[in-house]
Amino acid sequence: MSDQALTNKKTRAINLTTAVLLVLPLVALGFVIALFIRTGGGLHLEAPVPVEALTIERTILKPGSIDIVVRNASPQALTIAQVVINNAVWPFTADPATTIPRLSKGVVHLEYPWVHGEAYAATLFTSNAIPFNVEIPVAFTTPQPTTSTFLSLTLIGVYVGVIPVYLGLVWFPVLRKLGRRWMTFLMAVTAGLLVFLGLDTLAEALELANAVPSPLQGIGLVGIGAVATFFLLDAISRRQAAQERSEAEQRLSLAYMIATGIGLHNLGEGLAIGAAYNVGEIALGTFLVVGFIIQNITEGLAIIAPLLRDRPSIRQLALLGLVGGAPAIVGAWIGGFAPSPTLAVLFLAIGTGAVFEVVYEIAKLIQKDTNRQPMPMTVFSGVLAGMLMLWVTGLLIK
Amino acid sequence: MNKTISRRQFLKGGALGLLGAAGFAALGQNVLKTSAAPFGLDNHDGHGGHGAMPTTVGEVDHERNGFNPSDLLTDFDYGEVSTLENGQTLREYRITSVNKSIEVVPGIEYPAWTYNGRIPGPTIRCTEGDRIRIHFTNGSSHPHTMHFHGVHPAEMDGVPSTGPGVIQPGGHFTYEFDAEPFGLHLYHCHAFPLARHIAKGLYGAFIIDPKNGRPPADREFVMVMSGFDVDFDDANDFYAVNAIPFHYDKHPIQIHVGEKVRLYLVNILEFDLINSFHLHANFFNYYPTGTSLQPSEFTDNIMQTQAQRGILEFSYRYPGLYMFHAHNTEFAELGWTGNFEVLP
Repeated sequence: MSDQALTNKKTRAINLTTAVLLVLPLVALGFVIALFIRTGGGLHLEAPVPVEALTIERTILKPGSIDIVVRNASPQALTIAQVVINNAVWPFTADPATTIPRLSKGVVHLEYPWVHGEAYAATLFTSNAIPFNVEIPVAFTTPQPTTSTFLSLTLIGVYVGVIPVYLGLVWFPVLRKLGRRWMTFLMAVTAGLLVFLGLDTLAEALELANAVPSPLQGIGLVGIGAVATFFLLDAISRRQAAQERSEAEQRLSLAYMIATGIGLHNLGEGLAIGAAYNVGEIALGTFLVVGFIIQNITEGLAIIAPLLRDRPSIRQLALLGLVGGAPAIVGAWIGGFAPSPTLAVLFLAIGTGAVFEVVYEIAKLIQKDTNRQPMPMTVFSGVLAGMLMLWVTGLLIK
Repeated sequence: MNKTISRRQFLKGGALGLLGAAGFAALGQNVLKTSAAPFGLDNHDGHGGHGAMPTTVGEVDHERNGFNPSDLLTDFDYGEVSTLENGQTLREYRITSVNKSIEVVPGIEYPAWTYNGRIPGPTIRCTEGDRIRIHFTNGSSHPHTMHFHGVHPAEMDGVPSTGPGVIQPGGHFTYEFDAEPFGLHLYHCHAFPLARHIAKGLYGAFIIDPKNGRPPADREFVMVMSGFDVDFDDANDFYAVNAIPFHYDKHPIQIHVGEKVRLYLVNILEFDLINSFHLHANFFNYYPTGTSLQPSEFTDNIMQTQAQRGILEFSYRYPGLYMFHAHNTEFAELGWTGNFEVLP
């Protein structure tokens, strides 16, 4: 009894010490910060002019008016004092107010007789005379969420995402007749395709990260999104593997993971297309749609690659195609109606993590095969072929 | 203002980088080939806002600025007058340069440099042959001078290389010379870098009347054309007469039908090569530099480069509201626009 009490006491004592030790640096930190704020810490940090940053999120053109959606990315509130558009000082109203708190959004409204197809440049002057430039390279009425634009965006998503993926799935019966070595080759091709897509998605995410308001740290968001997705999918796959299911089931779930990764990639593509459509940038030429169909048909191939030894139902295949292709439609909607660089960066980052995790899963599967029968040149040529496939079909688009 | 939009560059991928994602960097090239109208969108223009006109939002705080352009129009400074032993009229002026924050357009304060706290500086007015004494004190934190256009000895020229040179902060100098020739002139700071010292606000009109005066006029106004480069990129962001953009647009200058108006117009606009003055629904007699009593031109539009100036004379036949503005329309839409309200 006394022994136990002693232990308890000891534990509690340790806990108390631990707590104090834990809190002590924080208390000290608070003290240092307070001291620094009060005295300036011996540094002269007063800026001659406040640092101001304003992110232009989007412009909305309606007949006779232009709305400029901005976000205040400065360390403090910011006031829009005057607006100049195409070298004319123009009256404006601001919603909710000309003064925008840090990280808040504001809409600058101009009653302006813009002309279809012409270019406009506006300058927003803050009260500290800091100019922020807004460009409208090609003016045209911003698509509103009407039935017809909704349908247009859906169609774009179907062409670019859904149709190619399903076309790829049609190869399934033929590919089933291939021997083991060829199937491994196809898996390697899939890995190559995905590495290429992953790099592409990552590059887009990093590029777009520059457009994210600086306090939201676009590059950091890319890292968080990609790494978190990678490890989340990895954890899910390990848990499933631990449930001792059949290899066929594992292969099916891998197919779903591939479809998910590709789906997220296509969501990113849809976002870009929708956003481009939104600014009148996109007159999707026939040539271009054809290019996308050819490039994305390889994605269908990638989805079915792990299933060639099994007999998935038509329903399963249909569902896989949907998971891989349909996100392009959702992406087009989001990009078309509510483009936000921050959201796009997150989606692209998630896509990056997902795609690379799937490459890792495929690598494990190939490892199983090559453990039975080493075929190094098959894997090498497969991965290379996969990457080259996307590079060559990419020539059609870029 | 020089804002160019590279549409081509944009179409080549500038904004697409912003919108980003796989495979879209080249979409724009296609736009060049095909129509700019995408999928089932109506082609109509953005017309509808035609009623709106360029103007600033709000009103500057004239009281805090310390001057109101409506008052500057007729604010002629004849100096402290006395007579010298030789019978010559002496006019003495006290001018101090000061750093001053001026609200040039509503909501935007410009860290200006001024003569006597106003832009333009005092309109110095005298008669040909008068003795002029300008007691200049540099009350600012930068070296300045006063350089007068006119005829005077080198040491009174107000440039860094002659006479007292630049007047240091806290320093003092009296510029003294005889007023000649008659005409409309100007003065400005001549410290270097010159463009910045002028653009910051150190300038004013300098009127020397002929010995026997000009023919009588009912109204006399002074207008100094200039601009403000509020973001310091050596390009003007706003333009105006008597400093405040759109002031006479919002507060028209009231005159009457048949009144003879004499307008002393000076251009001190920095960064841009020329400025101009266009009068609506009327013509005026133009006296370049005011050095002749005979007009050189009967017109409704004149052009002035920096430091060019001239006198305009006109009267209105019909009542109503009449614009006057730079016919460099860019300047007009960036602030250099006003109205005469002609009353019956």
